[in-house]
Amino acid sequence: MTLPMLTPDDRDAKPTGMKTLGLPLIGAALALSGCIQVRAPEKPIEINLNVNVRQEVVVRLQQDAQDLIQNNPELFPQ
Amino acid sequence: MKTRTKLLIAAALVAGTALGASRVAFAQTASVQAAIGQGTVGEQADGYLGFNGSPSAGVRAEVEQINIKRRAAYTDLAAKRGVTVQDVAASVGCTTLKNRVGAGQAYKLADGVWRTRSGSTPIPLPEYCA
Repeated sequence: MTLPMLTPDDRDAKPTGMKTLGLPLIGAALALSGCIQVRAPEKPIEINLNVNVRQEVVVRLQQDAQDLIQNNPELFPQ
Repeated sequence: MKTRTKLLIAAALVAGTALGASRVAFAQTASVQAAIGQGTVGEQADGYLGFNGSPSAGVRAEVEQINIKRRAAYTDLAAKRGVTVQDVAASVGCTTLKNRVGAGQAYKLADGVWRTRSGSTPIPLPEYCA
């Protein structure tokens, strides 16, 4: 039966524990600052998508538009 | 044989009525056509006719009627294709600006500025036009 003895290492345990507690805090702070940076380019991407979607629709409707004009000459005087 | 002749007569009658109707429409739009020629009325990128300056009250009323009918036609097509009325109107606007504005005639782009087409220079179309 031997009783555990405090070694010099055990006495230093407290400062080490504080260090490990500090690391996730720094990590969280880094992650938060990373999120804010990601938000910046959101707006221009949205505008480009809208233009593409409209262009697609307009291209799809081109023949319909021409037919509509030709079939309703009274609505399209020249 | 008898039913065939009846059908032929009916077809001829329908064709005749259509011709007559288009002739009436032609007479009604004559003053609008003159206004387009003078550049006081013109096509817009949004698919409707607009006023550049101040045309007569008669022309104004006719153009407004045309725009109401255009909107009805656009609405029908939009419902058929499952798109918005604005998309149909914009698509028609692309076609009218591309093919139906003659030299010296006025047109309005999305920036709201009236311009006159000079000679055979093509009109700069909006970027969504094909």
